[in-house]
Amino acid sequence: MFSTSDTIVAIATPAGRGGLGVVRISGPAAAPVAGELAGREEPFRPRYATFATITPAAGDAASAVGDQVVITFFPTPHSYTGEDVVEVSAHGSPVVLSSLLRRAIDAGARLAEPGEFTLRAFLNGKLDLIQAEAVADLIDAVTPLQARVAFDQLEGTLTGAITAIEGDLFDVIAKLEASLDFPDEGYHFVGSEEAGAALASLGDRIDRLLGESARGRLIREGAQVAIVGAPNVGKSSLFNALLNANRAIVTAVAGTTRDLVTERADLGGLSLALIDTAGVRETSDPVEREGVARTRDALRVADLVLVVLDGSREMGDEDRGILAETAHLPRVVVLNKSDLKGSGIFSIAQGVLGLNWSATSTQAGPGVEPFAENAPQHRESRLGRSGKDPRPLFSVSAQTGAGLDDLIAGVAEALSTGGIEFRDQPAVSNVRHTALLARARGALARATEALEGQVSEEFPLLDLQEAAHALQEITGRRTSDDLLRHIFERFCIGK
Amino acid sequence: MPCNPAIGGTAKGHLVREIDALGGLMARAIDATGIQFKLLNRSRGPAVWSPRAQADKGRYSAWVKAALEAEPNIHWIIGRAGRILLDGGRVSGLALEDGAVFPCGALVITTGTFLNGVIHVGQEQRPSGRAGEPPSRDLAESIKDLGMKWGRLKTGTPPRLARRSIDFEQGVKSGVFHVEHGDSEPIPFSFTATQSPMNTAVCHLLHTTDRVHQLVRSNIGASPLYNGQISGIGPRYCPSLEDKVMRFPDRERHQLFLEPEGLDVEEIYVNGFSMSLPVETQRELIHSLPGLESAEMLRPGYAVEYDFVQPTELRSSLETHRVAGLFFAGQINGTSGYEEAAGQGLLAGANAARSVLGRPPLVLGREEAYLGILVDDLVTKGCLEPYRMFTSRAEYRLLLRTDNADLRLTPRGREAGLVDDERWERYGRRRKRYDTNLDRIRKTWVRVEGGARVPAAQALKRPEVTLGSLVSAGDVVLETTPDDFALDTSSVETTVKYEGYLVRQEQAVARAQQAERRRIPEAFPFERVPGLSREMVQRFSETRPETLGQAQRIPGVTPAAVAVVGAYLNRF
Repeated sequence: MFSTSDTIVAIATPAGRGGLGVVRISGPAAAPVAGELAGREEPFRPRYATFATITPAAGDAASAVGDQVVITFFPTPHSYTGEDVVEVSAHGSPVVLSSLLRRAIDAGARLAEPGEFTLRAFLNGKLDLIQAEAVADLIDAVTPLQARVAFDQLEGTLTGAITAIEGDLFDVIAKLEASLDFPDEGYHFVGSEEAGAALASLGDRIDRLLGESARGRLIREGAQVAIVGAPNVGKSSLFNALLNANRAIVTAVAGTTRDLVTERADLGGLSLALIDTAGVRETSDPVEREGVARTRDALRVADLVLVVLDGSREMGDEDRGILAETAHLPRVVVLNKSDLKGSGIFSIAQGVLGLNWSATSTQAGPGVEPFAENAPQHRESRLGRSGKDPRPLFSVSAQTGAGLDDLIAGVAEALSTGGIEFRDQPAVSNVRHTALLARARGALARATEALEGQVSEEFPLLDLQEAAHALQEITGRRTSDDLLRHIFERFCIGK
Repeated sequence: MPCNPAIGGTAKGHLVREIDALGGLMARAIDATGIQFKLLNRSRGPAVWSPRAQADKGRYSAWVKAALEAEPNIHWIIGRAGRILLDGGRVSGLALEDGAVFPCGALVITTGTFLNGVIHVGQEQRPSGRAGEPPSRDLAESIKDLGMKWGRLKTGTPPRLARRSIDFEQGVKSGVFHVEHGDSEPIPFSFTATQSPMNTAVCHLLHTTDRVHQLVRSNIGASPLYNGQISGIGPRYCPSLEDKVMRFPDRERHQLFLEPEGLDVEEIYVNGFSMSLPVETQRELIHSLPGLESAEMLRPGYAVEYDFVQPTELRSSLETHRVAGLFFAGQINGTSGYEEAAGQGLLAGANAARSVLGRPPLVLGREEAYLGILVDDLVTKGCLEPYRMFTSRAEYRLLLRTDNADLRLTPRGREAGLVDDERWERYGRRRKRYDTNLDRIRKTWVRVEGGARVPAAQALKRPEVTLGSLVSAGDVVLETTPDDFALDTSSVETTVKYEGYLVRQEQAVARAQQAERRRIPEAFPFERVPGLSREMVQRFSETRPETLGQAQRIPGVTPAAVAVVGAYLNRF
């Protein structure tokens, strides 16, 4: 059961859509929590949009994103849930939103269970019967996992990883419990060394999931497609054009995108995560350097890399560097700015990619030159497919949208037929999961310590149960009957 | 004692101590008539130390009978119970099978395995509650007429052998038997014991062989468990020989124990060998066991099927939801084991009396006692198989120890009128010693390794330091007597040594209390809570949880459903 009278917070806008994101806080402490978020002492004026700047929190890499937001306070009972509600409208980037979420939690709010706002609205008489049916579904969902799946189908493989960890932990717990409850069965269920090794391995697995989260790889499920390129070649413009949304911060100042911006996109029927990166270049600005480091991380995890070159200018050293760096990766090269006149295309195609222009021109047809002017002939813009290595080249204009459809088809094709293996290592992208994993990790560490201290099983079990409960908040609770069943299935117990 | 000649064991030993702390007889009965005593889990922490003892069955029964006969307020009617009589929604009396009627204000029914009991040995089935006794049929009908949800369970017992036909000495000498001794310093069960019990018997450990397993496999078609003759569900923690062999084919051998059923009786109980195969096969199996080639089988093992009532029909007082004044205890509630039955009998009896007196029932919390866990599990979850207590069922295991059962429960028992003056005064002295000693070791400074002086309580947190060692070094003087020394030091030492863990458990208790304290009225209209699906309404209505805490523990109930009920608690 969860309380229906405390203050809860969640991202209210659907994942990965819209340029704007809303973080909603509901409950008696909604206004104070928002006040703390905005560093503001005076009360919010009810139902007025208040502009505020959220300053980055020190020391937390993941929330090193300041943002300008609009805060609106809806006092009870005239709000969505009927309680005091504060809505914080921010930039739709998941980085910004989860940072806001984290800070609201730090300020005392509790992360809402899926559907809990609706539940409260319902309890406070804010929903009619038809709407209440959605609440009935929520009430019927036996486990938080099921509830979440009902709300977001995309959590699948991450919860899969957590479920596997929980299952193995449960097995260790069952064996230690069996040692206590069945001391004279002639079984040696598990030794402290074996248990310790199992816990160490579980700890490593949790660390890996958490590590991904800590590196800011805000990646949900699906293929990971990273957009890389030298500064100002128009990566963010392309990112936005592909998403058909004005999402990343786009200015003409080189090095604007300092963080990884990830969005879920449905391109050519494939669900994928599109990662916008900082321009890859040597820089002395520490913030930007961090951005470049994250870009390198993105390259490591990406299933496909879109290398963006500026088709309106000559190749630079940075372009060459990126092409070299991505040469061994599954990639698609995109010549951006086809709407501008330029002369870079031939040197790029012939010189750097090592593509045999004349050999591919028959396939590409006579539509090559027009890129520089207009480039409407997408099909012909594909160059250089040799053997099984999918290495197409596309010319597009992020500005006008020219060539995008073909690029999207090419990305989809590269992902579905290009022999690219999808990353099967899911990344933690969810604040709730991260927090629960961290709690489980802490408890595991304490259990390990107790086990090393050669104390009896019931002491580490206290911590292991705590770890299991944290994981079971994701995967669904288990009872002592489940535990006994697990033991009896594996061991012949009983005289 | 229709089955194994033993009392206690893991978690069961806890129950016996708790029964004793509440004024029950079981601990004193086994202290007086036990023939071999062991503390299980001695190598582990104090929370899982569990006493167990072999009983002299005849003497045990006689002791209990005598103790009951000595009670001035018990009026005996010996007959076969037939029909529960009602007056409106309340019990008004009991009719015997012979028609005699006895009016009453409250009725406790404890049917063991007798409700429509059927015993199976091979193809042979006969209506019986246990070896040689007829089943209870009229009463079963009467209970079903009340509309209660019921089911069928199964349990079993092994064959008994003749002691005179077994050459124990030879078995030990040839290495096929291993002698199992009791503890060198046996510890009594009862807090009122003034002397250590005595070990007067030994048991023998032996193992099944491949030949035994082959025999079982080739005769499995004759087992009522495997040919569809038995439909009742048996306990997985106490599997029949058939189950051991068929379900765990990889296991090369299984443990068996030869346990005497008394000091001077012939019956030897073959613990671990329960089965329902035909008599001839049983004899053949016994003769296939090393050392038992010429053992004489006094009576065969058997399986018994019996009716039980889903305990979700009960409140936490063990009174039925449907009929006021009607209480159930023991196997009728789906449990197995003497200790589980005794604990329920004590609570049901106390609450029956209290209901007649118009007093609130004695209900123990999960954080207070294994008895509380037992009742709470039954009434919230129901039974799918015979229920047995395990320490893993306890969320607050470190708090529920055998050494502090009296500290936890004797005041509750006194309040409920179960604890007599003598035990109460003894408890008062014990409590005072505990508090004094705790205070003393917090204030006494001792020198530890390395020369530093620290409070004794702090020194005790070191793994190598024990309270016993501090006392024998003269560093600490405890308020105790030689008789109480073991118990007194154990309680104090545990409280101090594991303080960090205990505090964490107490904090967890405090958190859970929020939900445990929110009471749901008996007549709460779950069907009127908007948004609850029919399934959730059904689960709540069948179980009738008394608190939000219980509501949370009902299988299949979702957190959101409980939250909604919680939100509507004050609205109806």
